[in-house]
Amino acid sequence: MDTTYIENQIEQLKKAIYRQVEHRTLVKYTGDPLVDENQLFYLLLPLLNGDHWDEENYEGVIAVGIVEASLAEHSYIDEHDATSKVQQLTVLSGDYYSGRFYEILANSGNISLIRELSESVILRSEHEIRIYEPNRYAIDDWLETLTIIETECISRFYQLYNYNHYLYIMKKHLLILRLQNELLNYREGNSSLLLQKMMESFQRSEDMNFEHYLQNKIDGLVHQLRELLRTSSMKSELKRYIEERLIRESKER
Amino acid sequence: MEKMKLQKLYSDFKPDIDIIENELEKALQSTSHLLNDASLHLLHAGGKRIRPLFVLMSAKFGNYSIDRMKYAAVPLELIHMGSLVHDDVIDHSNMRRGRPTVRSQWNNRVAMLTGSFIFGRAIQYVTHIENPKAHQILARTMVEICKGEIIQIEDKFRINQNLKDYFRRIKRKTALLIESSCEVGAVVAEADPEVTKRLKRFGYYVGMSYQIVDDVLDFTSTDKQLGKPAGSDLLQGNITLPILLMKNHPKILRFIERASKGIVTEQERLEMLQIVRKSDSIKQALKISDQYLEKAMKEVERLPDNPTKKRLKEIALFIGKRKF
Repeated sequence: MDTTYIENQIEQLKKAIYRQVEHRTLVKYTGDPLVDENQLFYLLLPLLNGDHWDEENYEGVIAVGIVEASLAEHSYIDEHDATSKVQQLTVLSGDYYSGRFYEILANSGNISLIRELSESVILRSEHEIRIYEPNRYAIDDWLETLTIIETECISRFYQLYNYNHYLYIMKKHLLILRLQNELLNYREGNSSLLLQKMMESFQRSEDMNFEHYLQNKIDGLVHQLRELLRTSSMKSELKRYIEERLIRESKER
Repeated sequence: MEKMKLQKLYSDFKPDIDIIENELEKALQSTSHLLNDASLHLLHAGGKRIRPLFVLMSAKFGNYSIDRMKYAAVPLELIHMGSLVHDDVIDHSNMRRGRPTVRSQWNNRVAMLTGSFIFGRAIQYVTHIENPKAHQILARTMVEICKGEIIQIEDKFRINQNLKDYFRRIKRKTALLIESSCEVGAVVAEADPEVTKRLKRFGYYVGMSYQIVDDVLDFTSTDKQLGKPAGSDLLQGNITLPILLMKNHPKILRFIERASKGIVTEQERLEMLQIVRKSDSIKQALKISDQYLEKAMKEVERLPDNPTKKRLKEIALFIGKRKF
């Protein structure tokens, strides 16, 4: 197993997700569903590492990918004006994908995964809406929110199918990637609303500004992730792949 | 007056509808104060709760138990509510049921998250039911509603559409959810398959009639009764049955053209309402609605003897003759 093999698997999963939610009008106006390859990698990790895997698992990862795509679509809705045709169809694409995840799992009678994913949608909505609440959250609360946004659906999948041994690695890595992305946007002057909220919560100390804080946080998480990888019994090719992603993403970002 | 009639119709089910109302409130509880406020804001704005009522009435033809049926009735109403919140984003609506919409009170993103939260709760709630058939019906309904809404956006301001396009659209937009309410009620209560089919068809016909009446009321009601400006459907480009039956009335065509450019004045809106109200198309549309109601009644006739049969007929008639 090498990088090409892993990337082919990810590509196949991506295409399988596209096929399951294909809709002529939506493709024309809103494009392909938004899927994150890093998330797809972690969904496939148990398969790649040789854990028990069957059709139900593969259908499950497609469903998780569709839920992620649904929520990603909705995050592109403008706060004040969604009257353009593209925006209107973006609202509906998210709803359509959400219906499709339910339909796929209902047709195979996988009620347990339906429950897990619906609960993850609830939790994510509760966390994502925090940026519009007047409450003042601590910076660690915002980190928890980011972790839930990036990892909750995959965590539920892992928990249901007893793949918990990948949980910490997945959570750390996906949080690192999100923070790197936020940091890059910050440096380019395009801070997200969530990062602005984090900045408000940040207590400036004499020797550290917010950018340094964020970089330190990422460095700390990278160190923890490397430690987890070092002690993990995961195949060495997969560890190497994760390391490569870490280096590649930090360069790209 | 209308509300009193409705309350009378609900009287047999009042204790159970109260249970559903409480369950809806519980289902919308969230750890987020903002989500609580936004979703309860919509719940407290009212609504006829006809979908839960159809679930319960259909279940009376099988093994009825409110403790079980609530897991079917509540999600049906939540799906309806979630889609209203998202529809208001699409339509940029400021008012619903006489109150500010979630999007206008907060913003579009809050409305999107509220809608997703409500959908999530609907699906979570229905997982108390293990029967995959119930899930398949609900999931298909959610997908088809979206397909209907996508078609509605494609058809906006499209003058050259025909009655078939309209019926196809309202089937998905409204009839399907009422059809599914009846079918899910019967399936969860393990009613006889033949009875389930009849109830499903009954729901479809009633749903078609319901939407036609809704489309008529959009022209014939006052702004106050609607809780939004009369004629809003056409202003937003939704070409409904009364307009299609006017067969390209030149003034209406001009109105549609101006509405598509967003340059309609208040005077023009009032003029358009006058033209539609005076035309024969309102009467014709209501006649078509009645034809659907007759078909619904025939399905009820063929159901086995049951005290709920009378109520089904009354509710169907109320829907066809309602004024709000």
